[in-house]
Amino acid sequence: MPGCRRIEKIEQMDDKYIINSTVKKTSQCGKFGLLFLLLRIALGLMFVYASYDKILHPQAFSVAVYNYQLLPDMLINVAALTLPWLELLLGLCLMSGAWLPGATVLSSGLLTLFLGVLVFNQFRGLDIHCGCFSTETTSSPAGLGTILRDIGFLAVSLYLTVQVLFIER
Amino acid sequence: MKDISQSIKQALWQLPLLICLSIFISLISNYWRSDTLPLIGDWSMTAQLSVAGEESQVIPLDKAEQLFHKKTAIFIDARSKSEYASGHIPGALSLSWQDVDQGYAEHAGLLDASENIVTYCDGEACNLSHELALFLKEMGYENVQVLVNGWTEWNNAGLPTDREN
Repeated sequence: MPGCRRIEKIEQMDDKYIINSTVKKTSQCGKFGLLFLLLRIALGLMFVYASYDKILHPQAFSVAVYNYQLLPDMLINVAALTLPWLELLLGLCLMSGAWLPGATVLSSGLLTLFLGVLVFNQFRGLDIHCGCFSTETTSSPAGLGTILRDIGFLAVSLYLTVQVLFIER
Repeated sequence: MKDISQSIKQALWQLPLLICLSIFISLISNYWRSDTLPLIGDWSMTAQLSVAGEESQVIPLDKAEQLFHKKTAIFIDARSKSEYASGHIPGALSLSWQDVDQGYAEHAGLLDASENIVTYCDGEACNLSHELALFLKEMGYENVQVLVNGWTEWNNAGLPTDREN
């Protein structure tokens, strides 16, 4: 489990051949340790929050998925059912610190996919409701603001992924 | 280096496991819901336009053809004026959805509230005819129905068409 604190035990012999051992706690990652922790919990919370309404209202979410006009009709309902639970599991993993390699990679992959879809639909001129955090179709449609927000989430997720996969602890 | 490849290896099994778990949980939870979502939904235009319990707003082609031959319905073309000019159902009025307010003001006198009205446009996913039908219903016309993918179906059936010069 990646951690940020290293406990070192320093043993010294003094004049009387008595061993003094002091326990020294060092923070191996400095401020990045705390940042990592805060960001992964925040991103995890975001995923859990995003999944909540969609799990409760699969019918409404399936309409949102349909409106994106990306999936063939046959796959719409399965996608609408599975995606919110995937977000929930992801969120819980990120918050608890479990399965971080898989969770961070999946999170980055999903957010990249969402970003691609949002940008593509902007090009298509498709004026539809995001369905990102709720199934409410009266909220404002997915536009530039949504794209920027998603880029923010993706940046956080990529940071976490790099930390988990490539930084030795 | 060993730690890095270990993390990547962990990601390789955790990723598919998370996806499988979510599919599994979603199917189970869907099964136990009172309002189960069908795994393969009917997203056809006809299904979307039919509200459970209400008479369907959709009129099938053969019935529309009957009304046409008996001259007991007014057909309204919801497409743009230029599309109407290049071909439309004979006797149909042009009331393009884009300029519906203006067009309606011009045509309102021609339509009786109790008449059979059939709106149509072109393409399975075309929404114009549906929007127009809803609009007319709001205006007080009782018998408004939609011929889904009207223009294509009409042509495919070899039915007579008109065009403006």
